[in-house]
Amino acid sequence: MDFRYTQDQQDLIDAAKAVFDGENTLERMRLIVANEKVDDLWPQFSELGLLGIMAPESVGGLEQDLSVMAGIAEAAGYVALPESLVELAGISVPLLNAMGETGKIKQVLAGDLAVGVLSPLLSNNNQAVHCDLFIRTTRDGGEPVSVPKVKFETRQSIDPLRGLSSATQPGEHNSFVEHHGAVLTAAQLVGLSKRMVDMSVEYAKERHQFGKPIGSFQAIKHHLATVHAQIEFTRPMVQLAALQSGRAVHTAKIAAVDTAMLAAETAIQVHGGMGYTYEVDLHLFMKRAWALCGEWGDRNYHMKQLEDLILDGEAELGPGTSFAA
Amino acid sequence: MEVKFTDAQNAFRAEVREWLAAHVPSERLPSFDTKAGFELHREWERTLAKDKWGNVSWPVEYGGRGLDLTHWLIIEEEYYRADAPLRVSQNGIFLLAPTIMEFGTDAQKARFLPAMASGDEIWAQAWSEPGAGSDMAAIRTKAVREGDEYVISGQKTWSSRAVYADWCFGLFRTEEGSERHKGLSKILVPLDSKGLTIRPIAQLDGDEGFAELFFDEVRVPVDNLLGPEHGGWGVAMATAGFERGLLLRSPARFQAAAARLVDLYKKNRDRVSSGIREQVLQAWMTAERFCAATYALVAQVGAGASISSEASANKIFWSEMDRHLHRTAMTILGARAELESGADAEDNGRWLDGYMFSLAGPIYAGTNEIQRNILAERVLGLPRK
Ligand SMILES: Cc1cc2nc3c(=O)[nH]c(=O)nc-3n(C[C@H](O)[C@H](O)[C@H](O)COP(=O)(O)OP(=O)(O)OC[C@H]3O[C@@H](n4cnc5c(N)ncnc54)[C@H](O)[C@@H]3O)c2cc1C
Repeated sequence: MDFRYTQDQQDLIDAAKAVFDGENTLERMRLIVANEKVDDLWPQFSELGLLGIMAPESVGGLEQDLSVMAGIAEAAGYVALPESLVELAGISVPLLNAMGETGKIKQVLAGDLAVGVLSPLLSNNNQAVHCDLFIRTTRDGGEPVSVPKVKFETRQSIDPLRGLSSATQPGEHNSFVEHHGAVLTAAQLVGLSKRMVDMSVEYAKERHQFGKPIGSFQAIKHHLATVHAQIEFTRPMVQLAALQSGRAVHTAKIAAVDTAMLAAETAIQVHGGMGYTYEVDLHLFMKRAWALCGEWGDRNYHMKQLEDLILDGEAELGPGTSFAA
Repeated sequence: MEVKFTDAQNAFRAEVREWLAAHVPSERLPSFDTKAGFELHREWERTLAKDKWGNVSWPVEYGGRGLDLTHWLIIEEEYYRADAPLRVSQNGIFLLAPTIMEFGTDAQKARFLPAMASGDEIWAQAWSEPGAGSDMAAIRTKAVREGDEYVISGQKTWSSRAVYADWCFGLFRTEEGSERHKGLSKILVPLDSKGLTIRPIAQLDGDEGFAELFFDEVRVPVDNLLGPEHGGWGVAMATAGFERGLLLRSPARFQAAAARLVDLYKKNRDRVSSGIREQVLQAWMTAERFCAATYALVAQVGAGASISSEASANKIFWSEMDRHLHRTAMTILGARAELESGADAEDNGRWLDGYMFSLAGPIYAGTNEIQRNILAERVLGLPRK
């Protein structure tokens, strides 16, 4: 029992975070929203090995577990990364690996192949237009579906940084894929929540009313402290869920959804009228949070699973039952 | 990141479980806020002490087992799983002892630690005063040095366990004319001292769980000074840190309560509205989150990190969880919730007791408003003024 990242794991996460923070700046996001051309980050991701975080070492990957990927997903959430790196490296690659498709993994790592996943828990496919191939999930694996065979309907998300499509062939439930999807979505929500708090703190230090920074008012302090505490008690749950299955995963996703919704509502309140505009960057993070709340099992889905397990089942509960033997 | 217990840890858990199965009283003890209940809890402390289960995290040199916090969590899990009696010696063993080990003289360690561990001396805390609650630096009770004695005059209040306990520790103003955080000292005082009047205060449940302490020229030897004279604030903050941090409330307590809540729901499922299902799950999930976060914190402490202001988030989280959990039970019980005893009182009124006590959680050990101030200013960096 040692529930913390090793130094090597932390170094990897920090390195990814440095790239995200350094490259996906607010300026870059504004340009994307304005449909301006920006530099593509995929070559950098490929070069840094980020695409192969979870790929086996035998094909040149870093063979890290889902907890490390969750740390990276949190960092991606923190910048509301437009690229679908988390989906590709954290869901598609592990699925390809489970299917024994090492050749395709090599292509992904080289930056030559973008693979999307069709799952019943994924109602909107992010950046599907950029995919070269899809894997339709089956109960214990997946089957490749070529792009022309997937029927898409373009959808407009409130999140201007997500290019969405819905696919008509959703696939079957697959617990391995859904575990990755739910945990990594929850991790991004933690990052987004933290970012919204950080932006609000900065704003509250700058903005003055009644001759003082608004951050000196206790009402503002307490709102933000409440969200901060929620984040601190959601992150470890998400990390634990990465290494467990079942109820820990449902709990993590629900906690992440509730924390992110609270963070967004609090952040807009702290920003006052500014928060209710398309001009202040806060909305980009808020909208990404709303979007991710519904993916890889929305709150209803995970709550229903928990009801089955906890309220209507005979699971052993209580102290000492949180960690699988 | 490793979230499996080692074979040795699992074996340790089995040993704890076996010991508890053989020793935990078959009937729940009466509250330690009653005279009879207090003495029965003291007896239980002696039982724990005999097999060295009472102070496992103390270093071996002080009579403990020198176990790390992971082992402490395992014990807590088994302890609450077995529904063992609450620890009447909590103030001493978990709060005062670490401070004595850090700041005490060898003579103080030898004098106080063994009697604390054995259950022979039970401790109360005496910080609060009528004029110094959240604002602890407003303490006025004086301890004037006369030769090799302090002469204490003034009043403390809300001192838990003080009605039946043997000793108290707290902060007193030793430097004449000093203000706020300066000039305070941490002093240990026997509760049977001459000039010390203890007036029990009935708590919400009617039991005498805390007391006012009136000091009328109470004399204690200067040897009872813990840490530097006039430097008591720093010493006290060490205690407050431990308290708010980990040791006061482990996740096991809430996980056990959440499991009982699920059972209560199952027993009543036919007569409650379906809306309660989400509340029950919310309580259960929150306890799981507290567990995950505590193991994460323990791993960091194990690797040398120290807990300070971050601990404020802990205090907010467990106290608000506990209140919501118990309120949910009250909702399920409906008209039976008010019953303290009798055939219809669920679990002899335990949910009601628990609900009342949960209302104190956001108040004691630093109110949650104060904790939010600390988080906002010291962790998030918002301006004080
Ligand atoms: C069950 C129980 C056991 C206790 N046991 C002990 C014990 O053993 N020993 C001991 O010394 N004390 C004990 N206490 C006392 C406890 O520490 C105090 O009650 C607590 O610190 C609050 O002080 P107060 O009661 O004077 O409330 P006040 O400080 O008067 O606070 C009243 C309200 O005002 C708010 N408030 C105060 N200042 C601020 C501020 N700056 N910003 C925002 N809001 C503020 C508070 O949060 C609270 O909501 C116990 C209390 C309880 C309920």
